[in-house]
Amino acid sequence: MFFHIVLERNMQLHPRFFGRNLRENLVSKLMKDVEGTCSGRHGFVVAITGIESIGKGLIRDGTGFVTFPVKYQCVVFRPFKGEILEAVVTLVNKMGFFAEAGPVQIFVSKHLIPDDMEFQAGDMPNYTTSDGSVKIQKECEVRLKIIGTRVDATEIFCVGTIKDDFLGVINDPAAA
Amino acid sequence: MPRNRDEDDDVDEDYEGLDLEEEEEEEEEEDRGRGGGGGSRRKRGRSSFIDDYAEEDSQEEDDDDEDYGSRGGKGGGAGKRKKPSASIFLDREAHQVDDEDEEEEEDGEDDFIVDAGTDLPDERGGDRRYDRRFLSRDENDEDVEALERRIQERFSRHHEEYDEEATDVEQQALLPSVRDPKLWMVKCAIGREREVAVCLMQKFIDRGADLQIKSVVALDHLKNYIYVEADKEAHVKEAIKGMRNIYANQKILLVPIREMTDVLSVESKAIDLSRDTWVRMKIGTYKGDLAKVVDVDNVRQRVTVKLIPRIDLQALASKLDGREVSKKKAFVPPPRFMNIDEARELHIRVERRRDPMTGDYFENIGGMLFKDGFLYKTVSLKSITVQNVTPTFDELEKFNKPSENGEGDFGGLSTLFANRKKGHFMKGDAVIVIKGDLKNLKGWVEKVDEENVLIRSEMKGLPDPLAVNERELCKYFEPGNHVKVVSGTHEGATGMVVKVDQHVLIILSDTTKEHVRVFADHVVESSEVTTGVTKIGDYELHDLVLLDNLSFGVIIRLENEAFQVLKGVPDRPEVALVKLREIKCKIEKKINVQDRYKNVIAVKDDVRVIEGPSKGKQGPVKHIYKGVLFIYDRHHLEHAGFICAKCTSCIVVGGSRSGANRNGGGGGYGNFKAPAPVPSSPGRFQRGGRGGGYNSGGRHRGGRGGGDDSLLGTTVKIRLGPFKGYRGPVVEVKGNSVRVELEMKIVTVDRDAISDNVATTPFRDTSRYSMGSETPMHPSRTPLHPYMTPMRDSGATPIHDGMRTPMRDRAWNPYTPMSPSRDNWEDGNPGSWGTSPQYQPGSPPSRAYEAPTPGSGWASTPGGSYSDAGTPRDHGSAYANAPSPYLPSTPGQPMTPSSASYLPGTPGGQPMTPGTGLDVMSPVIGGDAEAWFMPDILVDIHKAGEDSDVGVIRDVSDGTCKVSLGSNGEGDTIMALPSELEIVPPRKSDRVKIVGGQFRGSTGKLIGIDGSDGIVKIDDNLDVKILDLAILAKFVQP
Repeated sequence: MFFHIVLERNMQLHPRFFGRNLRENLVSKLMKDVEGTCSGRHGFVVAITGIESIGKGLIRDGTGFVTFPVKYQCVVFRPFKGEILEAVVTLVNKMGFFAEAGPVQIFVSKHLIPDDMEFQAGDMPNYTTSDGSVKIQKECEVRLKIIGTRVDATEIFCVGTIKDDFLGVINDPAAA
Repeated sequence: MPRNRDEDDDVDEDYEGLDLEEEEEEEEEEDRGRGGGGGSRRKRGRSSFIDDYAEEDSQEEDDDDEDYGSRGGKGGGAGKRKKPSASIFLDREAHQVDDEDEEEEEDGEDDFIVDAGTDLPDERGGDRRYDRRFLSRDENDEDVEALERRIQERFSRHHEEYDEEATDVEQQALLPSVRDPKLWMVKCAIGREREVAVCLMQKFIDRGADLQIKSVVALDHLKNYIYVEADKEAHVKEAIKGMRNIYANQKILLVPIREMTDVLSVESKAIDLSRDTWVRMKIGTYKGDLAKVVDVDNVRQRVTVKLIPRIDLQALASKLDGREVSKKKAFVPPPRFMNIDEARELHIRVERRRDPMTGDYFENIGGMLFKDGFLYKTVSLKSITVQNVTPTFDELEKFNKPSENGEGDFGGLSTLFANRKKGHFMKGDAVIVIKGDLKNLKGWVEKVDEENVLIRSEMKGLPDPLAVNERELCKYFEPGNHVKVVSGTHEGATGMVVKVDQHVLIILSDTTKEHVRVFADHVVESSEVTTGVTKIGDYELHDLVLLDNLSFGVIIRLENEAFQVLKGVPDRPEVALVKLREIKCKIEKKINVQDRYKNVIAVKDDVRVIEGPSKGKQGPVKHIYKGVLFIYDRHHLEHAGFICAKCTSCIVVGGSRSGANRNGGGGGYGNFKAPAPVPSSPGRFQRGGRGGGYNSGGRHRGGRGGGDDSLLGTTVKIRLGPFKGYRGPVVEVKGNSVRVELEMKIVTVDRDAISDNVATTPFRDTSRYSMGSETPMHPSRTPLHPYMTPMRDSGATPIHDGMRTPMRDRAWNPYTPMSPSRDNWEDGNPGSWGTSPQYQPGSPPSRAYEAPTPGSGWASTPGGSYSDAGTPRDHGSAYANAPSPYLPSTPGQPMTPSSASYLPGTPGGQPMTPGTGLDVMSPVIGGDAEAWFMPDILVDIHKAGEDSDVGVIRDVSDGTCKVSLGSNGEGDTIMALPSELEIVPPRKSDRVKIVGGQFRGSTGKLIGIDGSDGIVKIDDNLDVKILDLAILAKFVQP
């Protein structure tokens, strides 16, 4: 799920950047620093949409670096248990398949794939229904439900299921 | 009132014993005469013997029924005497008599068993009936039953009263006191304990009252000893005099009063052995095998179990044919289901019989019963273990294979948990009821109270909390839960539940991304992410190891006592399962290799595989050995993410395609440091040897306090002091101190107190920096002279372009395959802002001089003019042996990447040293020729804001030196940091102390100076050595 929230961060800036463009420098550094990071609480920071406020800088003893408390608005993406997501399949193996929804990696175990879908090994490993009408392979898009998440320092890993109504392949570029 | 009935039974059995006394005594005599044979009969006789003995007590009890309760001692004695019989005689009613006898005693007379007769009565009632049936069937002994009834009537009243009397307080009163007879421990022959007890009893009967002992106890579990109850030791001695199995003049030990109760306390191990329980065999061919209970005979203490037969049909056939069977069994036949047809083919007679009790058909082969391929075997209760059976999946699957009657995949699964370990439910656990009326009720554990677990459920109308027996509960998980396995084969692993199949969970392991099947009972919910066991012996997961067949590989998985190793075969992934002993050693070499375009690949560099089976994979290099790279690609799911590839089929990500260019630059860098600023000693460049070991850059630096380029910008972790554990990039290096930018601020720490940041995922930039700084090492392995020229050229241009640029390129390159956060960290690094911090102050040329090896910070002796002399060989060895002050930061791993990245300048000298015999790796060690501060040497003290002063080091302790001011140390004593000290170079004919190298610690006399070398006559052996002046300090006699 996406959220638009306000976060705060203390930015350290080298005195070299002081001057007319201080603010721009600060913001560009903030973007570099924050966008794409992941935290357990908020999930992935997708983009910074605006700066709420920049506090007074505090000179650090001994270094000349200045710390600015910056409040910024950003869009974060955090997957939740029970959430329905659309994701692109990145890898298929006998244990299930991996899919990605933006920065989030989701694993769908074969136990969580409808029973009528069988694993077909080969050049392009896939899961196919017995009548061959539905095929899950690399690059195809699936709708899935997240049943569990695990948050690391740098990534969020989810386990999903397609064994439910209205879940499964929604678009297969290979077939099209 | 089954309870009372039972007790009545007890008594009546006693009396049965009495009535049959004579008859059985005769029997006993007979049996003895006969010696062996007639086992059960004899047993019975003997047991009734005991009973009749005990019964005397009962008679007494009868007599003074009224003051019964106060006769604790006596009663206890009776109990003791009877006790041994309980476990000895398992057979028939004799056994039963004893057993219940015992219970009776426990109940009423003594409190040796505190919770006597808890909830057993019902079961016992059942046993009894069974037993009676058994009796009547077997012996047609109707008399006994009649007798039983009669006596039961007679004594029922008595026992009711008796039961009521035994309150807790009275039980307390029954504890033995000082006035009661004591218990003595008497040593006897092993295995003769019972015999001795019986003999003593006989003796008592024969001799009557003049034998003043009260009782004799032989315990089953206590070998070599019997207990005798008597008032005095003399009485015991008297009683045991002349006993065959009691050694004369054996010490008789008194059992302390407090321990007396323990002697006869019996742990009530009421084993709940019911049908379908999983058990393990304890002895015999089937030892350790899993078995399923199909029938329990509590009376005879026997169970019928279902096993997978281990039968060698050939041997069986020949045996049944009466042929000779070789006695010695070379092996235990593997478990295999009995195939009746196969047996018939071998002409084994197979009888098909119907069991009269159950109506099932069994195949009978040579006395063994088979059904559905299983062997049905009746064994003693003692030969099976019931506790902690924990069958594995394999075993269970085997058991389930042949049935295939749709009974459910793990038919007896709920029984799996019947005898599990205690206390494995914890508050907050989600549980589900698996047995009884409340089956499938889910709830949460509120409290665990012995056997009962209080659970809270969402179901309305149920008491809250609800008490449920532990055995009826099983842990409950839902798909998506993150769990940790706490027991069983996968102990330690964590993962996410993907499927719940009754009591079996399928978990997606966090490490291997594979499915793991575990029992719900073996896991707990946990947010922890672990890899499971990661270490066996010295070897850890992801270590590079050398195997005994000289192949090598990376440990990608640990199994029970074995490793899965991805072999270093680039053509195809080859995984071998190796045992601990098959591993020769861990390979911890730090080698750099070249990729396809001659870029240098070091450990931690990101590379992409451009050909071969793993083409397209990309990731950091974890190990390098023999030109084979082990790359870790986190998107690669097999082999724990490891890919094995030849170095020539990879390219460094962000590396230049024109390798020569980079190398040239690197080489230039390496050399630049040394030759460029060399006003003082051009000689050393012809010398060889020493340059490899000793860092020239540092030596010829203009002044102290220079920076160390190699450290600058690297992310380090502080390992000592108040900032211990902090990480941050180095922003400045000054002498012994480095300035480290922590998350929040820049601090100054001792240089020794930092270590290179190794392998924390988000902070990969280290590798990129070290890549840059390691580059110069490389030329040392290739013919060097070609580089000499470009090097000088590059020296003329700002050197940093030579080495810094590509490095930075790579570090900030957007296409480096990093997770966003890694980028982020690097960006947060001040070094990333267009230029590295070290460029900011000062002029570029001088910066080059400020790139000493770490060691040079210490060894610097400005103003000292050194002369060149000496044999390279000497120095080579000296350097190689001297410990480096930096190594302590990476104990035991001199080859770790970190130590190498400290020493980028070192190899600068190496190109000039062909033929020194130093191998490729020596530059790393080369830094060892460090000057150490030692006591009794003259130093210059430069305290900030103070004039420099000379002083004598008196003491050196972890990082600080105690220095006495004055050239002879006569002044005040102050504390100084090594960074504030500088060794005063000795002059000719000074007394010197050698502060580095092989002879460190020795004193001597400087008899001459040759360039930068000093000729030293060492005091100890009067040897004349040529040593580097830098490691010589002026010695001041304390």
